[in-house]
Amino acid sequence: MKKFKKIANWLATFAVMLIICIPGLWVVLSAFRPNREILAKPAVWIPEYLSFDNFYAIFGGGKALIAIPVPAYFINSIVIASTSTFVAIVIGMSGGYAFARFRFKFKNSIFLGLMLSRTVPGIALSLPLFMIWGRIGLIDTKMGMIIVYTALNIPFTIWLIDGFFRQIPKELSEAGQVDGCTRWQAFWKIEFPLAKSGIASAAIFAFLTSWNEYALASNLTRSTDSKTLPVGLMDFTAQFTIDWAGMSAMAVIIIVPALILTFIVQKHLISGLTFGGVKG
Amino acid sequence: MTTISLKFSSAIQSKKSMPYLLILPAIIVILGVVLVPLLFSFYTSFTPFKLTKPDSLFVFIGFKNYIRIFSDMAFWEAFGRTVLFLAVVINLEFLLGLGIALMINKITHGQRVLRTIMMFPMMFSPILVGFQFKFIFNDNIGILNNALQSLGVTDQAIAWLVDRWLAFGAISFAEIWMSTSIFAILLLAGLFSMPQEPLEAAQVDGCNSWQIFKHITLPFIMPFAFIAMTIRSLDVARAYDIVDVMTGGGPAGRTELLWTMIARTGFDNANMGRANAMAYVSIILSILFTYYFFRKIIAARKAMGGDA
Amino acid sequence: MTKVTLKNIVKKYGNLEVVHSINIDIAHNEFIVLVGPSGCGKSTTLRMVAGLEDITSGEIKIGDRVVNDLAPRDRNISMIFQNYALYPHMSVRENLGFGLKIAKHTEAVITERVDEAAEMLGLNELLERRPAELSGGQRQRVAMGRAIVRNPDVFLFDEPLSNLDAKLRVQMRTEIKKLHKRVKNTIIYVTHDQVEAMTLADRIVIMRDGFIEQIGTPLDVFNFPTNVFVASFIGSPPMNLIEATVDIKAGQRGNLLFPEDIVIPVPERLKNAVKHGQKVVVGIRADDLTPVNHGIDDASEKADLNLTVHISEPLGTETILFCSIGEQEIQCKMLNPYPVAADEKMKFKLAIDKIHLFDHASGNNLLGSLNG
Repeated sequence: MKKFKKIANWLATFAVMLIICIPGLWVVLSAFRPNREILAKPAVWIPEYLSFDNFYAIFGGGKALIAIPVPAYFINSIVIASTSTFVAIVIGMSGGYAFARFRFKFKNSIFLGLMLSRTVPGIALSLPLFMIWGRIGLIDTKMGMIIVYTALNIPFTIWLIDGFFRQIPKELSEAGQVDGCTRWQAFWKIEFPLAKSGIASAAIFAFLTSWNEYALASNLTRSTDSKTLPVGLMDFTAQFTIDWAGMSAMAVIIIVPALILTFIVQKHLISGLTFGGVKG
Repeated sequence: MTTISLKFSSAIQSKKSMPYLLILPAIIVILGVVLVPLLFSFYTSFTPFKLTKPDSLFVFIGFKNYIRIFSDMAFWEAFGRTVLFLAVVINLEFLLGLGIALMINKITHGQRVLRTIMMFPMMFSPILVGFQFKFIFNDNIGILNNALQSLGVTDQAIAWLVDRWLAFGAISFAEIWMSTSIFAILLLAGLFSMPQEPLEAAQVDGCNSWQIFKHITLPFIMPFAFIAMTIRSLDVARAYDIVDVMTGGGPAGRTELLWTMIARTGFDNANMGRANAMAYVSIILSILFTYYFFRKIIAARKAMGGDA
Repeated sequence: MTKVTLKNIVKKYGNLEVVHSINIDIAHNEFIVLVGPSGCGKSTTLRMVAGLEDITSGEIKIGDRVVNDLAPRDRNISMIFQNYALYPHMSVRENLGFGLKIAKHTEAVITERVDEAAEMLGLNELLERRPAELSGGQRQRVAMGRAIVRNPDVFLFDEPLSNLDAKLRVQMRTEIKKLHKRVKNTIIYVTHDQVEAMTLADRIVIMRDGFIEQIGTPLDVFNFPTNVFVASFIGSPPMNLIEATVDIKAGQRGNLLFPEDIVIPVPERLKNAVKHGQKVVVGIRADDLTPVNHGIDDASEKADLNLTVHISEPLGTETILFCSIGEQEIQCKMLNPYPVAADEKMKFKLAIDKIHLFDHASGNNLLGSLNG
């Protein structure tokens, strides 16, 4: 009976993992298949022809079904996501440290206010930003997107970093100060090295948020000057024919960095989320 | 001059102002990019502003936009669908997440690998999730219809993304696929951190496994569920991305959610004033949602002995 | 010469005052222990000396310098924390040398002083390890080493032994005492454990609710407690406190009337401090109330008492007997013990001259206190 339960549990887990993995794997597989095989009727289950042609095509080599400037989007995505992450981490570290280490008036209200700013739906925020950015010349610029994503990432970065600093006993910084450090030195020589890996996870998380964002980018960018990969993906469906193979290849380009970074960050992210939440 | 600079430098050194200086940059950015634009859009929601007629920004029409949208059946339909959608997906995500967490908690080998796999959907761009399921649910070439037809379950192609309720189901499935892992991972973290003594005490006290689950395990891991719900509620509007790529709110508004309706009204029809009025409804919905769960977290924190 | 002076020190959090205008003068090389129950303000006081808490009002001097507005690093102090606060990302050697490195000493000086401290504390074998790889006692030693290498004017200890198990605590207590003998620095030490306070201190400062109850040498506070609080806090087992009424007929020596018709003569040294009919609290140490032939047999005046033993706790060389007078449970000490039967009636001798009398209303010692 016990053994039966165990096997049933394994089977159920296996089924769940299949449901999680198959959609992604199918997209990855399609990225290496030609359109004629994807579109074939009846369906071709076992791939007969696998190649890098689709990637070659979307990066401008060979002939693509629909010409899309993927390299430009890729560079935009990298520049916008990294810069906004860097700025959000610097600002978030300063804010997160304040929340973790100081008592001050309106602390909870300010924290709540920051979090609530994150709840504003991207599409709702995109309306006024579209009007204002248009007026001050930030529309369709990388700078405009960097500013928006910085703001988007600050609340959650503060939440995570606050949690990581709380895990470091306050006495360590105090010991440092008694040992002759200024508060500034104590931070950089003692607290920062200990929170480093947590902060790195927060950075990766912020990077992924920017990397994956669509609602704001789709309305605030319009040309190769600033369009990011997720917005570029929609270029494929804007036409009457859908280039499934090309789209899948582009999807892989978006997924792969995300998966690698997720893999690196997973452990710290979980502890950061739970600690920041539960222990107050 | 000297007194001012003296005052300033002593303000920097004073311990009282230190935390405020540290959070100041964050507040400035949020004010500039979120709060001020939202005030502007609040104003716009009282004008008939159309992108094509710039002068209309300065015409004040009171609550006319709000009256228009509140008397529009299509708006209420989208609103109702949005609320239904959120209720369905969050509850299912919680239940499924709980089930998965309990399953993985029982497994002794390979837990870490399973946890890592579970984490992946969380990191998928919503637009990719949408694309992936658009591909799978495609009536002509989708893997789902192909599989059903190959297995002989149906010989007709099922129009997953065209029928009103099938499309609702498909979109919900995509959303659940993307977000269940947040619940599963946090609830699993809760199960890991659970002390063994109360479980053993309950066994000694004669509880069966269902009673132990209901009275000991569940109350202990609920705070973790609330964290997951709060994190989730920060991002509910991500569903916009999924719907936009899967159906675009169509066909004929059959899968329209509040958020796709805002985009259509504001950007496609250039009717910014009315779109902003709708946006405000969606913002209030989101804030209520988050605030509710945030309060639950604070309560849970207190119950677990942390200082709020 | 490093004296430490606390003058009218007040600490407020918002409107809540937690330390009420306290004064302490600490002499050069003195080992002073602040002791009291949790929440009495002892740690806050120590942290104000360290500079980790702001001083609301008053003045703290280290040596001849007023340090109120100096940062911790400018006070030339060392502190040993309850949880040791070792830097987890540094090896023992780096932990020990950190303060010197911050002060920009040369590598050679750092190595020399770290090695010297490691030698003194027996840490030579552990220098390359991380704190996580050390036992509780070893961590404690590293924390002390980190304090020593900087050669500070004052050592501050914040409950340094409370995370150790009982055996190790006794051992480290001795080491701290040896350390003080060797480095001869001023030490301010905070603990809630009166045994630690008694064994370590040159002088003890007993605190409660942000006030100083008494300052004195261990023997002073033991023999001349200023009030019931100090009496019951210092000494183990705690002093028995029993209510009684004074009965003096004119010209006579007078008696103390206890419940159950027990009568004890007023001690000779206290007879001028009491009035007829006065309600008092009588303090009796367990050591001074012993079964006949099982106590210290000296020539001092004794009174006889018959008590029933409810419970006995054998400790080996002595046994603690739990009896009662009226509603009040009292503890007595039995030397050269034999097995005591339950509810055994025994004859006790009370050393009359050793008892303490406190005012019933204020709790103050009727003789006043030694420090006025």
